[in-house]
Amino acid sequence: MIAVEFAKQWRRPRTLLTFAALAVFTIALTISLDASGAGRIERVGDIPLLVVPDRSGFSVPVIALSSTMKFFLPLAVSIFAGESVAGEAGWGSLRYALAGPVSRTRYLFSKLVVALGFSVAAVVFVPVTALAVGTIAFGWHPFTAIDGSSSSALHTAVVTFGAGAALGRLAVGTAYVMGGMTSIFAFALLLSTLTTRPFAAVAGGVGLTIVSRVLNGDYLPGVSVLNPYMPNNDVDLWQHFFQQPAQTAGMVHFLLLQIVYVAVFLTIAWWWFMRKDILT
Amino acid sequence: MNVVALEYTKQARRPRGLITLGVLGILTAVLTLVISVSRATIAERVGDFGSVVSNTSGLTMPLIALSATLLFLLPLAVAIFAGETVAGEAAWGSLRYLLARPVPRWRVLAAKAAVAAAFSIAAVLVVVVVSLGTGVIAFGWHALTVLDLQHTSPFIVASARFPPLAAIGRLGLATAFVLATLTSTFAFALMLSTFTVRPFSAVAGGVGLSLFSRALDNVPGLHALSPWLPVTDSGTTLWTGFFTRPMQTAGLAHLLEVQAAYVAVFLAVALARFARADILS
Repeated sequence: MIAVEFAKQWRRPRTLLTFAALAVFTIALTISLDASGAGRIERVGDIPLLVVPDRSGFSVPVIALSSTMKFFLPLAVSIFAGESVAGEAGWGSLRYALAGPVSRTRYLFSKLVVALGFSVAAVVFVPVTALAVGTIAFGWHPFTAIDGSSSSALHTAVVTFGAGAALGRLAVGTAYVMGGMTSIFAFALLLSTLTTRPFAAVAGGVGLTIVSRVLNGDYLPGVSVLNPYMPNNDVDLWQHFFQQPAQTAGMVHFLLLQIVYVAVFLTIAWWWFMRKDILT
Repeated sequence: MNVVALEYTKQARRPRGLITLGVLGILTAVLTLVISVSRATIAERVGDFGSVVSNTSGLTMPLIALSATLLFLLPLAVAIFAGETVAGEAAWGSLRYLLARPVPRWRVLAAKAAVAAAFSIAAVLVVVVVSLGTGVIAFGWHALTVLDLQHTSPFIVASARFPPLAAIGRLGLATAFVLATLTSTFAFALMLSTFTVRPFSAVAGGVGLSLFSRALDNVPGLHALSPWLPVTDSGTTLWTGFFTRPMQTAGLAHLLEVQAAYVAVFLAVALARFARADILS
């Protein structure tokens, strides 16, 4: 069942287009960094980490992950999750799929597993491509960054990671970003069972990240109370893995919060899909 | 002119427009309320370098409200008005009857665009006027002091002080400029509206343009692209330059040119598409 779903999704141009777009993005990013002065300092994130791109190929995945985690990756995840059921309904093939002797729970589950697989692949794909392209462009060297939060005019806090350590931290950071995408994934999947228009489900998934970011104390004064409970705000905390020692404050809270959101969204999705009248 | 008047009556009677404006007004009033209750003495960041303390003057509230809503709510409102124009009519199934009248298609599109533009302007004005009104009630009609963090150091506090009327004048300028920064979003949503029969798609696309553009703007390494994007962080905060002394006008003209270019392209595509599209609904 899962194999059938996988084969079906894999052949759809949408899937390849999404990955191709992410690849083009990372390659364009590297070329642009290389062309526009890779020897200059780039500020990454809120900490900020100060990175000189041409010192090490590892700077490219760090920059690429930072610049995709707030829009392009949520978009890719929403595409995979939002298209799952609604895409089938949009094609008009959902009722035929459900006419088979397979329980709706299993059907939804296989949709979820396949969409999840592609989403995980998308999140992994960005740092992996970026690291490959970055290594070609800037070489396989230890990764050096300046920790902007602990630096002052009199003292520069430089942190250096050997290639192995940088790779390890990047892997943990990627896993954290993946964890941060799960609430969006679950929400887009929920919308996908509610609507027959894939576009609405995809837009809704992206919409959740936007609402989460708009209700952020940085932009809208007075809503700081909500900050710790927003589904997507703290996804950037992975950058703290590149401080020395790694600052992990808030990460466990954020991942637990993801579990709560995922549980709620998936339960509603399942409950709705079990009872829904399928007309398309 | 008849076509415009007719469109206006039609739009004004639909609850959507009034609800959008109403929600904006309420959110703005709630913002003042929240600030006056919990953080009136705290400095609020406005744009890239400005900083104001709300309880010094009610005139600070429009600045805070504009920076808060420019990120998402105002682009959304503008996309709603522009995206619904043609697609909304198509979704109702009344577009072909509308076009059956002896009125050229470009005039219909122009009338719809004019009314949508008026509602979009109203949306920005609602935010400014409501925040000014509630701000003055909460914090009074005093001179406006804006701290310029860019030029403030441990040795010198750079701030500009505007008497109430001067502040209102600058606020008018800033509002006009904010409107200009929203025009590319407006034109893009209007263009999508002529391509789809689903208003939601056009609205989401309009908001999507501002998100996509802003996402590209924030990619380190793509700085070279930033001046040419339709919506950027620095572009949407440029209006705060009106509240410094001397007024910072660098970049204003460039941004207006870029907006004009995007608007021209999007509107031309919209017109070309609408003039020859087969209308099936």
